[in-house]
Amino acid sequence: MRLWPSSLAGRTALVLLVGLIVVQVAGLTIHALDRVDIQNLAAARLSAERVRALIRTAVFSPPASRESAVDDIDLPPGMTAELSDVPEARGGPPLPPPMRELLRIGAAGPPPPPRGQAAPSSPPPAHRRMQLRPREGRDYFISGLEGRRPGYLLSVRLPDGAWLNVHAALPPPRPWHSPTFLIAFILMTVAAAGLTLWAVRRLTRPVRLLADAAERLGRDVNAAPLPETGPSEVATAAAAFNTMASRIRRFVQDRTEMLAAIGHDLRTPITRLRLRAEFMDDDEQRAKMLADLAEMEKMIGATLAFARDEAATEPATPVDLAGLARTVVDEAADAAPEATEKLSYDGPSHLTVRARPVALKRALANLVGNALAYGGAARVRLVPPSNGQIRLMVEDDGPGIPAADMERVFQPFQRLEGSRNRETGGTGLGLPIARNILRAHGGDVTLANRPAGGLVATMTLPA
Amino acid sequence: MVMEAAPHILVVDDDREIRDLLARFLEKHGLRVTAVRDAREARRMLPNGHFQLIVLDLMMPGESGLDFARFVRTTSGTPIVMLTAMGEETDRIIGLELGADDYVPKPFNPRELLARIRAVLRRAGEASDRKRDLPARAFHFAGWVLEPARRRLLNPDGVEVPLTGGEFDLLLALAERPNRVLTRDMLLDLLRGRQAGPFDRAIDVAVSRLRRKMEDDGRNPQVIKTVRGGGYVLAASVERVAVADSAP
Repeated sequence: MRLWPSSLAGRTALVLLVGLIVVQVAGLTIHALDRVDIQNLAAARLSAERVRALIRTAVFSPPASRESAVDDIDLPPGMTAELSDVPEARGGPPLPPPMRELLRIGAAGPPPPPRGQAAPSSPPPAHRRMQLRPREGRDYFISGLEGRRPGYLLSVRLPDGAWLNVHAALPPPRPWHSPTFLIAFILMTVAAAGLTLWAVRRLTRPVRLLADAAERLGRDVNAAPLPETGPSEVATAAAAFNTMASRIRRFVQDRTEMLAAIGHDLRTPITRLRLRAEFMDDDEQRAKMLADLAEMEKMIGATLAFARDEAATEPATPVDLAGLARTVVDEAADAAPEATEKLSYDGPSHLTVRARPVALKRALANLVGNALAYGGAARVRLVPPSNGQIRLMVEDDGPGIPAADMERVFQPFQRLEGSRNRETGGTGLGLPIARNILRAHGGDVTLANRPAGGLVATMTLPA
Repeated sequence: MVMEAAPHILVVDDDREIRDLLARFLEKHGLRVTAVRDAREARRMLPNGHFQLIVLDLMMPGESGLDFARFVRTTSGTPIVMLTAMGEETDRIIGLELGADDYVPKPFNPRELLARIRAVLRRAGEASDRKRDLPARAFHFAGWVLEPARRRLLNPDGVEVPLTGGEFDLLLALAERPNRVLTRDMLLDLLRGRQAGPFDRAIDVAVSRLRRKMEDDGRNPQVIKTVRGGGYVLAASVERVAVADSAP
């Protein structure tokens, strides 16, 4: 579902906001219903008041001027009054009970004329009776309006037998009619949404910190521990994470020390074997034995370099990166004179960076060695600083690497199928060492297949 | 070769097998060898041995190789070739700064060790008529600084300019003999200890690379000059900083 956000913060915020809106709407509805009741009551009160005034006027006016006196009374909209010989309310639709309730008919009947003003002329007996207890069906009739509109039709018998017909349509309730209503609603919603987002972000921040810390630990086992503060759940999670990190650190350290110890201890037997080889009579066998020993030594050297993480101990100093790249290319050419034409350097003649020269040289030499061994060529290209990065690229003409294996080759002792048994040999540590060194410099090593074929290894360094 | 003329070498290594094999190997190649187990025995042998060179393992139980090297330096100028542990860069640098003449990382190639021993003996013999210069800590020339122990070259701005092993050894050979013309043959001879199989053109290639890295115009070089008749000379005044002057 597209509207369902992917982040925890987003989801929590969405749930809270939807809940908030539901509560808001419910509250507003209750408020609106109250408002309708109050409006109805007010309208009924007003109409009752007017009816009282009408009756009083009609009763006390002399019949000749009665009509004009009734007309003079200011009536609210929807209310009309007229004098007639017949009670119009008789036989109309019955007044709906809610309206009857609202007008309080039944308890006290329609409001009677005020008692004290009862008699300039002698009132007829009917009037007196009505004063005592006006009765529906004799002294007055009341009915609902046609079409069930809110309101009523009231016919009141005047003392002389004429009827006063009052047609009152109550104004329909307007629960939402308020100029400040919309503004208030929007302001409340916006304020609540803002607070919700802020609070949710604050609450989910520890989760993000944890993710960041895990990411850092993946790159560097010695990354700083998480602060074990905040809400108790967060502090517990941070403490658990730190414990895990220190166990991993311990494990890596043990393994590193083991590798270093093995590397160290192998040096003495290899030295002895080399010396013994010098006393062999068979020249061919001796040469082969020495070559085997050289290979072993190379593997031990790489293992030791990887285990010791030399880049971490060598001090950084200003170094000419262009000279370094040329030196690596030249040394590769010196070691394999037949490959000289496959090796090249392209870039500025000088570029000073702050780096650890021995380590950096080793990293580049590893990449150049790989390119030469598996790609048949090594063209080193130095790109001057751009976007805060210096790039040093090594291109080859080999078959490249399947995209799925691009990261796997950076794992120690991982070699691609096919290279393990080939004469190219290799320790499976060249790329991991190069990456460790570059990451210790704040850069990285990445691989990519070139569109034109072959592989390009890119070293990046912060400019 | 007359027996008396064979140089006498003191081998100090704690591993008995290596000690014996190395002694046999060096003797097979015309050197006289006394092999001892540790620094204590070595000290006993020193006064009467008339050694021309000491092969010293730095990793030994008891007194360390570095302490023994320091002791040798304070009492004599006998050249020292160190056997350093692979990956122990600091030991190597300290050793060279103490005044050791050369080093071979362990596990070493015996032939390379032999070549180094011969190169150091030759250098010492070269200077036998005058007082032997102790290995220098640094050479200063035309603003450049060459540090043998750290095997690095700094340009006048203090920026390290990386060199290949061959380029470095060539520049060092020239810096050790300033204003002296060195023929290709002499240079080849001096570099033989280091390089696997240096050939004639390698010297010219290394010089042209050096000039490019040092911004020395190849058509009108100012630092490394070509001498007609086949040789090179470092044409600058070289200030030599001896190890003793600034040892830490």
